[in-house]
Amino acid sequence: MTCYRNHQTLFGLCLLLFLFTSPLLATENQTDQECFESRDGMSQVRVREISPGLVNVKCSSTTGGVLWWGDPFAGTIPMGDMDIEADYSNEEAVVKPREPELDKNKMLTICSMACHDGNYVPIPHSKTPRPLKMHLDTVPDAMNLKHGKGNIWCLDCHHLVERTKLIDNFGYSISFNQPQKLCGKCHGQVYRAWRDGLHGKRIGMWDKGGKKRWWVCTECHNPHDVEQKERNSGFAQLRPEPAPNLPKGMVNADHERMHHGAHPDETGHE
Amino acid sequence: MPKQDSSKTKDNKLTSRRDFLRSAGNYTVASLSGAAMLLSDPKPAKANVTWEEHFQKNYRLMTDEEKQEAIERLETRYSEEYGKQVTVDGTPSIEGVLFGYALNIQKCIGCRRCVKACVAENNQSRGDEQQIEWIRVLRMEKGKFSEADRDQHGYPESFGVQVGGNAYKPAGVVLEGQHYYEPEQVPEKDAFYFPMQCMQCEKPPCVKVCPVRTTYRDPDGIVVIDYNWCIGCRMCIGACPYWARRFNWGEPNLPKEEMNPVTHYLGNRPRMKGVVEKCSFCVQRTRKGRWTACVEVCPVGARKFGNLLDPNSEIRKVLAKKKVFRLRADLNTYPKFFYYMD
Ligand code: SF4
Ligand code: SF4
Repeated sequence: MTCYRNHQTLFGLCLLLFLFTSPLLATENQTDQECFESRDGMSQVRVREISPGLVNVKCSSTTGGVLWWGDPFAGTIPMGDMDIEADYSNEEAVVKPREPELDKNKMLTICSMACHDGNYVPIPHSKTPRPLKMHLDTVPDAMNLKHGKGNIWCLDCHHLVERTKLIDNFGYSISFNQPQKLCGKCHGQVYRAWRDGLHGKRIGMWDKGGKKRWWVCTECHNPHDVEQKERNSGFAQLRPEPAPNLPKGMVNADHERMHHGAHPDETGHE
Repeated sequence: MPKQDSSKTKDNKLTSRRDFLRSAGNYTVASLSGAAMLLSDPKPAKANVTWEEHFQKNYRLMTDEEKQEAIERLETRYSEEYGKQVTVDGTPSIEGVLFGYALNIQKCIGCRRCVKACVAENNQSRGDEQQIEWIRVLRMEKGKFSEADRDQHGYPESFGVQVGGNAYKPAGVVLEGQHYYEPEQVPEKDAFYFPMQCMQCEKPPCVKVCPVRTTYRDPDGIVVIDYNWCIGCRMCIGACPYWARRFNWGEPNLPKEEMNPVTHYLGNRPRMKGVVEKCSFCVQRTRKGRWTACVEVCPVGARKFGNLLDPNSEIRKVLAKKKVFRLRADLNTYPKFFYYMD
């Protein structure tokens, strides 16, 4: 991370490296640049000018994530369609529909109509999970299913014959736009907290009657691999934004990584 | 980060009271020569602005008309300086609102996106020379917490303040924070993250010590600063127990194209050299009903904000339902920034 430090001599070199290695990130907040809203690779958003000198979002030049919303409501639809029991009667709640994002290449639609419409692929009669033989190219994390600690499998969440839908406890379909209806089946407590606004993210207005954009479960969590690496925070690990500049005259931050007394495990005395 | 000095506004020398006095002091008859100098400025509009700005009252003591004049002066000045239409808002506190903030330390992944969003929103100085960030994210190591450890060892070997466990063994979280952590990816396995910013104290020691009363608490609970009256004595920095205030040692570096033109007089309007600044709960946004920039950007939704006087607000539900603590409650500063856990 020397690029962010005071080494003047390295500056030119770093700049060159920066320009060559990340053409997308080299220029800050240019229109038409794309960055991610919450999860890298998911919910991409393109920078556009919404009025002279004002952009819909600003992207981080180091991590490629959205840093700032000029228009928090772009691309949203009324929450009314979502049919949840939260008390948002005194506010205007909106969400960004997930289906357009997930079905960008129309794979979901095509698969559902071509084979998984109940006619071609036999409907499984056993609920014993078996390894997925096909589609590993289109569902890259299929073999890495870390959800429910191995106790659930594809058809616990995906509809048997309608692959463009999720499934509820009674076999009825749930839209991908309303994943909270599926997630809430097991995660009731989190679901309630989300409804109360205590879990998850909102952007827009804080005040009563204000307009709010609610974020749904799969905008932040990867439903196939919820655990996401070593520290199980339910959230994908990502690159942090650069550290603040060191105080003048300080060459490194070793002082704060030093322990004032060694832990017995390291010194070896038992 | 590439240096952005190129767009620094070097032509604008008379931006502060001190600059004016210093320049004036170079002449023998300060006021007259100062006037002469200002009037000889090639841009008369700017000279008038500067002249009147130096003799304006403390914002708190201005009449509504005087406030309006001051705001218009600034709008003209900034629009010229930054080459875009800049608005300076003077919206006062909303009746029946007391702002509160809550942060879920169990959720925070230490990505520092809040820090950078704050810089983008609030026009802080950036670049290598003169970097100002209002939010700090501390990284704290998870300590070890096992029965065996506790029973087998004597008095703690580590000097870190221990949280959890017993007096004989460092355990739980060791309160030794790192500011400059730079791992490849966050969150890390063995760490907690602890963001800090101005807590908008109910009894703010920074206000108490300010000799010119340029910093004060507005009725909605936001502790604000009239930058024009700040003399840069930095007493408030010494008094604040939360490391919330920053000082502009040099001329701030705010690139024209990155400047946020939607500003508030007491919030994110461009600052000058020699004044103190800090988080204002995005006063330019929050008094218009918007969430703060850090609330909106946090990718894990760890940040909550709202009206403490509204029993149905999210912030009140957090206080009612979660495990909540305030930082350094022993100091009786009564912060309105709460930390919580699920
Ligand atoms: S946190 Fe510091 S700067 Fe903010 S109100 Fe309290 S004492 Fe003042
Ligand atoms: S943006 Fe949120 S998760 Fe990231 S450091 Fe700030 S508070 Fe923590």
